[in-house]
Amino acid sequence: MAVGFSAVGLRSAPGSPVPCARRTWRGIAWSTWLALALVSAPAGAQSNNVRITKLSDVAFGSLANLGVDASSAQSICVYANTSGDRYRVTATGSAPGSAFALTSGASLLPYEVQWSASSGQSSGFQLSPNVPQTGLVSSATQQTCNSGPVTSASLILLLRATALSSARAGSYSGTLTLIIGAD
Amino acid sequence: MHPFWMDLAGGRLVKRGPETVDKKIKLYRGLVACAATLATLGAPGSAQASTQGSLGSTSTGSVSISASVPSRVRISGLSDVAFTNVDPSADVSNAQNVCVWSNTSTQGYRLTATGSGASNAFTLANAALTVPYTVEWSGSSGQTSGTALTAGSALTGLTSSATNSNCASGPSASASLIVKIGASSLQTMNASTSYTGTLTLLVAPE
Repeated sequence: MAVGFSAVGLRSAPGSPVPCARRTWRGIAWSTWLALALVSAPAGAQSNNVRITKLSDVAFGSLANLGVDASSAQSICVYANTSGDRYRVTATGSAPGSAFALTSGASLLPYEVQWSASSGQSSGFQLSPNVPQTGLVSSATQQTCNSGPVTSASLILLLRATALSSARAGSYSGTLTLIIGAD
Repeated sequence: MHPFWMDLAGGRLVKRGPETVDKKIKLYRGLVACAATLATLGAPGSAQASTQGSLGSTSTGSVSISASVPSRVRISGLSDVAFTNVDPSADVSNAQNVCVWSNTSTQGYRLTATGSGASNAFTLANAALTVPYTVEWSGSSGQTSGTALTAGSALTGLTSSATNSNCASGPSASASLIVKIGASSLQTMNASTSYTGTLTLLVAPE
């Protein structure tokens, strides 16, 4: 773009009857128009940038009733400046093999991860460790949801009764990592 | 070694002019703040905070998850016991496999049995007529004898092999309950008379 700008701006036909100053101003006008035209096109293109924010830690606390599922849902912000605002999400747990499981010493407490591309949901489709879920669309209009929708997706974590009823007593912890990519 | 570090290591502040002292105080404060931050971050068992993603071709965030599972036990798989038309000349016995699950680190539990007789006695009754029975317990399934229980007294030091709270998976049973009526007791019973009672089993984590 810079090369085109200078070439058009300074070009004048040899022997032209147009005075030098006038030719210069005309050149500047053309070059300005061309520059704006060239610059305006990329401004409307997608940068393929994504961002995930508004994540909160999940504390299930002491699970008194091991015979029922325990769940936690949170609305988060996923922004995608991509074609169609599309994105993909990949989740990994901190247990061996990136499994979705909390640990307490050698004991494991598996959990499930669900995702919804809408905020305020208490269920979604199930994610598998290290398997990208594609075809998601974000409604966020600002990268941290500071304007427009305040959240754009739901993250749901589930501790199934079947897992709880086999779990050893103890304090379990783990980390869930979420990677957002353009889709 | 730089004089400041010598001062720090020596735990004293040497006055070399107001400016020097001010700088050192600021550095000390900074070090204290850094140490506090590092102590917080490195404290054993401290929960990691969630991390937010930054703008880019990919964006990574994380959440810390925690849950606490309290000590729990469960007894299941119990069946009623019926001694029908028994021969009073010999002891009668009924053994059944039951599921006892404990989620403690040792899978340990204690068992307390109480009968429906007077003072929780192990007795069957028909109005004022009573007949005693005995209760035995084994921490393994498939047993026809075990440790004799005393009404209201806990049998401790038991360990469960169950891996599921109702033995739906893993071992299908983890203990044996044996109820017996001795011949001498049977011979005190009136014929064609039904004696009934309830045996209550209380399991607690250990």
